[in-house]
Amino acid sequence: MTLSRLLVALLALALVWQPARADESAEQESRWELGIALGYGIRTNPLVLSDEIPIAVDLDIAWFGDRWFFDNGDLGYTFADNDYVTASVVGRFNSDRVFFGKTDTEFVTAGLDGAALPAATLLEIPDRDYAGEVGLELLAGGRWGRLQMTTHHDVSGTHDGFEVHVDYGRGFRQQRWYVEPSIGFSYKSEALNDYYWGVRPNEASAALPEYEAGAGVNVHGRLMLGYQLNRSWQLALVAEAERLNDEAFASPIVVDRTVYGYFLGFGYRF
Amino acid sequence: MRLLILLLLLLPAASAAADDADVEMRVKPVLCITDETTPSCDMAFLVHWRSEETGYYCLFNDFGGEPLRCWSDEQTGEHEDERSVTESFSYWMSEEGDSVRLATVTVEVLRMDTDDRRRRRRTRHVWDLL
Repeated sequence: MTLSRLLVALLALALVWQPARADESAEQESRWELGIALGYGIRTNPLVLSDEIPIAVDLDIAWFGDRWFFDNGDLGYTFADNDYVTASVVGRFNSDRVFFGKTDTEFVTAGLDGAALPAATLLEIPDRDYAGEVGLELLAGGRWGRLQMTTHHDVSGTHDGFEVHVDYGRGFRQQRWYVEPSIGFSYKSEALNDYYWGVRPNEASAALPEYEAGAGVNVHGRLMLGYQLNRSWQLALVAEAERLNDEAFASPIVVDRTVYGYFLGFGYRF
Repeated sequence: MRLLILLLLLLPAASAAADDADVEMRVKPVLCITDETTPSCDMAFLVHWRSEETGYYCLFNDFGGEPLRCWSDEQTGEHEDERSVTESFSYWMSEEGDSVRLATVTVEVLRMDTDDRRRRRRTRHVWDLL
């Protein structure tokens, strides 16, 4: 969990926190979901001159009211909920920015297009901002699994683009064991893709050629394996892979086509 | 890594044992998980007990006042109890004709599903594991 996500979580926590009433039934399902996972994991970074993103702690902070909800950085309002579909308006921060927080600066003797440079040149990966986005979320679920479809548009003036995300997953439980594979794709508009993966004229140099990215589709897959140790603790292993779209991979600042990640650790649910 | 080892050491065992007074009781399994596809636990619970002293002991649970089984002039015993449960409950041992519980073990039923469709249907974030 990034610092900004944690801050948003704490802010939402402060806004919606209400002490439990004395007449509240002990059997009533809590509106809160609070958990922490401790372990070790990494997420690879597709950018050149970048470091992997280490993961040692993962926080789970969620609150679900009758209509409003906060779920780990997503703030939403549900306007339709029935056996067939759950529809909400959701605000969030775009996650593509996370890779740009772990980049280095180096003197290089060859440009990212492979051409030799006459002299050592400072190569700096351009910085990118988080984008505040608002969109529509449609959820469906049943014994066949669950399907999440979202479309989010930038409202912060950061990239002015949009993203359409589809994810299908199905969980299988055998008592303490739980396995959940999921797959999906994300369509990223030209404006969004170009903001994060493009190189603007004022950022280009002899070492870093200018680049303009078009729209593209990322594909991702994830496998979660969990073993419930007792009421509160579980052992969890998560592995995921996300294949970047052609336009992102063609960017001079991208060196890896696929982003891999894994995490192994103990999770505690409060 | 040290933290992981420490957590591993602190975690309780997968089966529970009670050792009140001089009677030791073990129950397997002590945790049952229900969800939307498995709304109840249909299981055979194996209860094993052992006492330091030979005596007249009875096994009870929360589902009735009558003992599940009694042993006469025994120091150890085993009983398999098949049942379908949706809530946590306890097994306990008492001496025959006495209400004092010599050992108690609670079987926990952990409900993993939710009445809130959003929680069931939402995809967790990339690293949300819980």
